[in-house]
Amino acid sequence: MRVAVGDDAVILREGLARLLQEAGFEVVGVAADADELLELVDRSEPDVAIVDIRMPPTHTDEGLRAAKAIREAHPAVGILVLSQHVHARYAIELLSSGTDGVGYLLKERVADLDELSASVRRVGQGGSVLDPAVVSQLVGRRRQADNPLEHLTDREREVLALMAEGRSNKAIADRLFVSEHTVEKHIKNIFGTLRLTHSPDDHRRVLAVVTYLDSG
Amino acid sequence: MRAKLFLLVAAAVGAAAGATWLAAHAGADRPTEPGPYLTLLVGVSLIGCGLTSWRARPDNKLGPMMALTGFAWFAGLLSEATSAPLYTVGVAVEYVFVAGFVYIILSFPSGELRGTLDRTLVAVAVGALGLQVLAMLFGSGKGLRCGGDCGHNLIQVVHDNGLALALLGLERVIAAAITLIALVVLSARWLRASAAQRREVTWVLLAGNATLLALAVTVLDDLIGNPLDATPAKVWFCTLALVPIAIVATFVRRRLARGSVAGLVVQLGGPTAPADLRAALARTLGDPSLELAYWFPAEARYVTGDGRPVGVPDADSSRRSTLVERDGTPIAMLLHDPALEHNAGLVQSVCAAAGLALENERLQAELRARLVELGASRGRLVEATDAERRRIERNLHDGTQQRLVSIAMSLGLLESKLAPGQGDAAPIVREARTALALALEELRELTQGIHPTLLVERGLPVALEELCRRAGLPAHLEVDLDVRLPDQVETAAYYFASEAMSNAVKHSHGNEIGVDVSFDGHVLTVEITDDGIGGAAIGGAGPGSGLRGLADRVEALGGRFTVSSPPGRGTRLTAQIPCA
Repeated sequence: MRVAVGDDAVILREGLARLLQEAGFEVVGVAADADELLELVDRSEPDVAIVDIRMPPTHTDEGLRAAKAIREAHPAVGILVLSQHVHARYAIELLSSGTDGVGYLLKERVADLDELSASVRRVGQGGSVLDPAVVSQLVGRRRQADNPLEHLTDREREVLALMAEGRSNKAIADRLFVSEHTVEKHIKNIFGTLRLTHSPDDHRRVLAVVTYLDSG
Repeated sequence: MRAKLFLLVAAAVGAAAGATWLAAHAGADRPTEPGPYLTLLVGVSLIGCGLTSWRARPDNKLGPMMALTGFAWFAGLLSEATSAPLYTVGVAVEYVFVAGFVYIILSFPSGELRGTLDRTLVAVAVGALGLQVLAMLFGSGKGLRCGGDCGHNLIQVVHDNGLALALLGLERVIAAAITLIALVVLSARWLRASAAQRREVTWVLLAGNATLLALAVTVLDDLIGNPLDATPAKVWFCTLALVPIAIVATFVRRRLARGSVAGLVVQLGGPTAPADLRAALARTLGDPSLELAYWFPAEARYVTGDGRPVGVPDADSSRRSTLVERDGTPIAMLLHDPALEHNAGLVQSVCAAAGLALENERLQAELRARLVELGASRGRLVEATDAERRRIERNLHDGTQQRLVSIAMSLGLLESKLAPGQGDAAPIVREARTALALALEELRELTQGIHPTLLVERGLPVALEELCRRAGLPAHLEVDLDVRLPDQVETAAYYFASEAMSNAVKHSHGNEIGVDVSFDGHVLTVEITDDGIGGAAIGGAGPGSGLRGLADRVEALGGRFTVSSPPGRGTRLTAQIPCA
């Protein structure tokens, strides 16, 4: 899988490139800002572009804007946005522009090489990734006593969180050491309780779940 | 002084009686004279008013000049006498009063002539008197003055009636010219004068100008054979009599104004607002344009009540200043119309009367200025704090956080390189990674607390939304705001909401929080409510003690912070921040 990296800090983009190569990815190039990254993507059409959210010149949300631009110019290129902050708002903005092949991860997740390469791969294959910290913020949000979320069991809540992170039924099953069939049963219950229409597509259900969590 | 005055009054009575007798017995061939009563009126007015103002203002030359002119007026009537010496003197001084009058009217109110033009006019008027004497060298009694029975001209040397009449004619033309020029000079002066100056000179100038005009008309009428008869003469007799009265009236009014200082003292005894003090002084001084400036010792300069510094006006400025001191230290400065310079006595008494009030006002003005400065410095402190917070957050993000992330990468890499045989190293690496993840998480919390980047990037509503998402209680956000507000306003509102919400979570024992934000175009209102136990108060040691800092931040921006927290009925914290 071919990957492009955009980060203004040399130490991080070089480190990331090295990690990715170590994990078996082909790094097509690194870029120090949004413009460079767009050019790199134009030139080498990678499977995934990894981009730091905060880059020059304003050091605010350049990464998000670059993601949007890449999305428009190259819909096939997956985008993984890295952030040092847990901003659910940015994650949701990113997902609302289409959940196919997008991801939002905290930067420090790069420490776990297996998790990182799994996320890059998922985005490259058109799936979506939402950082557990964002998800737990959404799921863990304090709600009114009469909120349907309060009626979920702990296990169902775990499944809901993993769904929101963008994981497939199989991945959820592996993670919870249960069968896929059990996971499917949980998901059916969850959708029933929350009165959401069940979508068999792993990718599409992420937005439904996240939007639900955010609106509650 | 008293004896001198008595003598003068006696002389005046004598002169008046004599002159009236002479006027009453003037030849019947002089139909143009306005008669004994008006003649008497003019002389009495000049001498009476002259002596009165001389007594009241010994330093002002106007008094003696008026008295002198009055005596000259009466002396002129000697030309009606039959005795040769009296007649000769009378004719010689007949028009001296004109020069005196020109001097009076031009030098009013100071008694001093002001410029070359004034002095020239008076000099020419005096010079023209010489022509009269010159004419007497050639003219006979008859040709010069009266009909049959008047006196004999003692200084006639040559008999040339034609020359005498020509010289007299020239004298009259010059007199007419002088009066007309004086008329123009005075009118111009009036037009240039300030309101206060006009108030001072109006009546004198009106009477003076009327006299000058009527005089000129009379002379011209004489030159063309008297078609207007005695009318113009009667007019100027009357107006001339009014001039000294108007002058005395002006001086009396100044006295009355000084009397009103007593009223000022009484008025200043009560509580006065700054505007009242200025108005009271302006009223007493009769100068609506009066301004007050107070001495600020720290800045060593005068500053107006509304904080504007003013300098002492220089000599050619259109304003004059009077400094007020108490015990040798400056207190205030009165900026006033130059007209008040002629009335220094009044200004001094007003300053003395208002000294305490001015000192009081000065202290208040200084206090106000300090408060304004304090407010500004408070604002600057908040601004500096915000800038510092931004800088720290940025440094942590670009420095420490990145280095920690890079270490995390190295650990990840290291972990992937551990061969299966080195099993006992793996848990150590994992441990390090977990500790690092915790450190990064704490650092993240810290930097967000120091400076919420989302606020700068996306504005108040989005930042508050995030805040509600993370709140420890269910929070409802209502935002009616669709514009970006100045940085410091958004920041203050954000920190206010953040602190108020965490207060509610920690202390209210409530079940939910309401966050209400609205903007009416001028004021941003942020209201945080909870359904808890209430009882919070600013500055207390209880649950609301953290509120003091909130109040400070809001008030530093000129905003208002209110707490409503009745026991058992929840707490409502409201911040209203003005957006300039």
